[in-house]
Amino acid sequence: MDCPYIPELTYSQFGKSLLSRIPGNRIPISGSLELTFRCNLRCQHCYVSHGHTGIPGQQELSTSEIQRIIDEVVDAGCLWFLITGGEPLVRRDFLDIYAYAKRKGLILTLFTNGTLITPRIADYLAEWPPFKVEITLYGATQETYERVTGIKGSYARCMRGIELLLERGLNLNLKTMLMTLNQHEIEDMRAFADSLDVSFRYDAMLNAGLDGDGRPTSFRVPPQEVVQLDLQDQGRAEEWRSFIQRTKGYQYPGDNLYVCGAGERSFHIDPYGQLYLCMMVRYASYDLRSGCFQEGWGQFLPQIRSQKIEGDYICSQCELMPICGQCPGWSYIEYGETQKPVDYLCQVAHLRYESLYESL
Amino acid sequence: MAQLDYCYQKDPDMVSREIAGEVILVPIRRNVGDLESVYTLNETAALAWTLFDGSHTVNQIQAQIISEYEVDEDEAERDLIELIQQLEEIGAIARV
Repeated sequence: MDCPYIPELTYSQFGKSLLSRIPGNRIPISGSLELTFRCNLRCQHCYVSHGHTGIPGQQELSTSEIQRIIDEVVDAGCLWFLITGGEPLVRRDFLDIYAYAKRKGLILTLFTNGTLITPRIADYLAEWPPFKVEITLYGATQETYERVTGIKGSYARCMRGIELLLERGLNLNLKTMLMTLNQHEIEDMRAFADSLDVSFRYDAMLNAGLDGDGRPTSFRVPPQEVVQLDLQDQGRAEEWRSFIQRTKGYQYPGDNLYVCGAGERSFHIDPYGQLYLCMMVRYASYDLRSGCFQEGWGQFLPQIRSQKIEGDYICSQCELMPICGQCPGWSYIEYGETQKPVDYLCQVAHLRYESLYESL
Repeated sequence: MAQLDYCYQKDPDMVSREIAGEVILVPIRRNVGDLESVYTLNETAALAWTLFDGSHTVNQIQAQIISEYEVDEDEAERDLIELIQQLEEIGAIARV
């Protein structure tokens, strides 16, 4: 799963200067909202396990509930806000919510599969532009794309969605989850993005389903092949080398379990109004329906954040931790506990280090 | 060039936010400002921004700034005129 809290933003200079002025103070400057878990696609690797209907028996936030939550996060100082899903465009009130967030001065990013973008939606986005739209490609060909999504005609609709956004000059990024189902087309996907003059990235780190379903992990590309792809891409390999160099000698800071910005600078909200530290950490949540963001941010999340390492946490002694991305959220989704090293992350990280850095 | 008896109104498509004590302007609509940018206002500019309400004149805004901050009349006028020019350029305010 992509971590949206490591911003690659042209606003980053502003963000840095703002954060430098509030040392020690928490501020929810960056947040994300899953408008729905529902989706019109049936992707084989999807970590959202309730794509057909959402979670049975639970009711998604209403338009007015979302507007109230947006008011609260804006009052608390949120500036960057990601709208995601599920597929956010399956909500009939998508544009109402988008417009409301926009008018409140949130800088919006939209994650979508692109297949439900209509001329009307594209026109609206062009008039009230998001900071960026990110569309996930599932393959470079119709065959592969629809093998992943399980829906006939979805490839053509995605291509149409991309076209509608680009015709209007919207800031679009393309990306994919690298998996055994589409790894043979990764270069073709990149070439497609290049042909459109839009950026492209991929992520090999498929995580298990939010309900603990291990099926998505069965599509993981073996670590050796992930690193082989790094090596084949000169730019990517260089980025990794540079990152490894920069983080060399990393020492785990203190004895806190959480060492990222989750709950300090960022937060996540699911379709039912549950507030979390981040998209990955789903074992503890605060109900925004019965409470308010101010309380959830101010009192609940700091409690989760303040958890200490219990016993021996082997990852805290590993200088490759920044490379691997191990965190309590990953560990919990993979194993149902917060301190267990995720084997797949660990293997890829060590291989990257050996193949891209140590071997030089 | 702004005259001292002119009045200015904020553009509704430029949203002001106060975050961690910083006042910023966020353009939200096509053709308003640079959508890749966030504009930050210093304290006096932030005060002036609240007074671009279509009824305060530049003169009145200048007087308000002088009464609240240690700044002489000429400097306040110079800064205010420059601010107005910049805000007009990015479409954040318009003369009424």
